[in-house]
Amino acid sequence: VSEPRLHQTIEAVLALGLLASAALLACGLLLPDESVLRAGVLLLMLTPAARVVVLSVGLLLERDWLFGSISLWILGVLLGSLVLALRA
Amino acid sequence: LASSPALLFLTGAATGLVGSLLGLGGGVLLVPLLTLALGVPIRTAIAASLVSVIASASASATVNLRKGLVNMRLGLVLEVATSIGGLSGGLASSLLSERQLYAAFALVMAAMGAAMALRSGTRNVIADLSVDPGRLGGRLQEGATTFVYRVRRLSLGLAASLLAGAVSGLLGVGGGIVKVPVLNTFCGVPIRVAAATSTFMIGVTAAASSILYYARGEIALPLTAAICLGALPASLLGARLSDRVKARSLKVLMALLLVAVALQMTARAL
Repeated sequence: VSEPRLHQTIEAVLALGLLASAALLACGLLLPDESVLRAGVLLLMLTPAARVVVLSVGLLLERDWLFGSISLWILGVLLGSLVLALRA
Repeated sequence: LASSPALLFLTGAATGLVGSLLGLGGGVLLVPLLTLALGVPIRTAIAASLVSVIASASASATVNLRKGLVNMRLGLVLEVATSIGGLSGGLASSLLSERQLYAAFALVMAAMGAAMALRSGTRNVIADLSVDPGRLGGRLQEGATTFVYRVRRLSLGLAASLLAGAVSGLLGVGGGIVKVPVLNTFCGVPIRVAAATSTFMIGVTAAASSILYYARGEIALPLTAAICLGALPASLLGARLSDRVKARSLKVLMALLLVAVALQMTARAL
């Protein structure tokens, strides 16, 4: 995976996540439906996490072990906050 | 919470636009606007702002990636610090009273306002292309010229990122207003790269803490949705226009605004 290609993929993941969550938020407000709003907010929060997943995979495919593992570590922190949130 | 969705949409749009023009998340403006002008409780405002910051920072990031301004490797390294800071800030916020949150916000705003007003206009670029940018540095295209920059004092950048993350998780702002000046002034990163790389990180920082706010039931869904829907398109526009705006006058305006808000927040805290 080349660097510009990785940039493009990340850009696409972010754009997709934003579009889908904006659609859900708009529907949730217009209908109005709280579960749709909830889905929109959760999807929005997941979008940066999806970006971290894509970046980790991309860097590991590039055999960039140092930055790939840094990226995986960040994913670990995000998972940690999810675990803490579920316990609350 | 009685504010109309249209008003909230406009508030999200205005703060998203100014935020992305300045290369920051809009949270530093959104929280005071919601609490001081619209009477939203500060905890609700902070939670809504965190979610909106994810929307506007991610939207700006798509534009900045295309412009080649994001230094992804530098961003990754600093994200280690911001995400831990974000997580701790998110946990700590439930321990503070409303009054303490106002006081913390006032303090941070005043410090940031002063830093912004005093910030030097040093340029960190080297025109000699034979210079090695190192593992974390990079190249920056400005018009027809390409510049090289090297990253210095990484430990200071990491410390600023940890603080930025904590401030973000605690007060619902992106934290760019802490990171960008430090990266630019002390770490040798050109201002536009510093802002774009900071924005790239903000989504992850805010995601780490916003999930905690969500679990505590502090995210007011319709309010947050209306703000995010305004912030999204406005941030895309702001990020696109950011090259054309004179940064200096906006920064002075921003500094004045921050100090004014800090004073008002202090009044609330007392």
